[in-house]
Amino acid sequence: MKTIELVQRLRRDAALDPAVLERGRKKFMAQIQSESVRPPQPTIVPQLPYHDIRAALEFLERAFGFRELPGSRVEDARGVVGHAMMAFGDGLIGVGGHGGHGAVSPKSDGVVSQYVSVYVPDVDAHYERARAAGARIAMGLRDQFWGDRTYEALDLEGHRWRFHQKIRDVPREEWNWDSSDPNKG
Amino acid sequence: MRQPSDADVIGRSLVEAEVFGLIYDRHAPTLLRFLGRRVGAEVAEGLLAEAFRIAFERRKAFDSGRESALPWLYGIASNLLLKHRRGEARRIRASARMAIGRAVADGRASAAAMEARVLLPRVAEALESLPDGEREALLLFAWEELSYQHVADALELPIGTVRSRLNRARARLRELLEASGKERVRSR
Repeated sequence: MKTIELVQRLRRDAALDPAVLERGRKKFMAQIQSESVRPPQPTIVPQLPYHDIRAALEFLERAFGFRELPGSRVEDARGVVGHAMMAFGDGLIGVGGHGGHGAVSPKSDGVVSQYVSVYVPDVDAHYERARAAGARIAMGLRDQFWGDRTYEALDLEGHRWRFHQKIRDVPREEWNWDSSDPNKG
Repeated sequence: MRQPSDADVIGRSLVEAEVFGLIYDRHAPTLLRFLGRRVGAEVAEGLLAEAFRIAFERRKAFDSGRESALPWLYGIASNLLLKHRRGEARRIRASARMAIGRAVADGRASAAAMEARVLLPRVAEALESLPDGEREALLLFAWEELSYQHVADALELPIGTVRSRLNRARARLRELLEASGKERVRSR
């Protein structure tokens, strides 16, 4: 007996009224607009230097899913971008020019003096997206001893990013950190 | 130009709330149809509004690794339907009567009409008696024609659990259909 087919014979569509959808849309949009949506305001905001800010903004959005904050872009009359803010979840970064504030892009001297950790809802999916967008994978996906699953990627100019997803609780007694392991944590 | 995915749109809506309207435009018709099938047009309108209100509130928790928001929206709407079980059961029983009517009206297929008359009320009854989790998985699969993966996404379950729920639901339906069939034979 084909149970699924029998179940399907009981499917009955209600008439779809376009006016209902339109009414619903109006109400919904009014609801949305009444909410004041503020950009995140975290206490700490990393500022990262790039030679090509425009390209960096585009890449960080496409590869990592960061969003440029509307109205945050500083641009001169010739269209040169000086700075912009990007949000991701409740985090925020600044994207600025190479050499400003004594900060240099890794593209110039190949030195990375820091990396930024970012928590994402699904690190495997994030990894695929970043890789498909051309991010260089510096360290592949792995489950870490403290319960996160992570990978690390370099962006267009070589800034290093580590993406995390907490996948389990590991009691501190079970953390097996080894300082001699080259891949430690 | 690449169409922004639902994940892109929802991500953007965290800083620009109005773009969430695009999610409504893309999926409200499908969701309204879904809700209408389950509880009828009248109740569906209110549930659609409620589902989108909840989705908007929870948009930050949307898994940005998922391309389409539709399974997620199905999940939210499914939850709302739980409060409408009684109305749903009435609707399914009425649907069974209508399906029988259609089969009977088609005089050339009297065997099919007989089969419909016997089986469909039992299917309706059996659907009603399924546990919520199984019924929901079954109806998303059979009526909405979602893939196993999308049912899993909607109900926030591992795909293996969806598979076993569907198997259980099918087995239970079969059992109930056969059991009531035997009773009929015995009572003759």
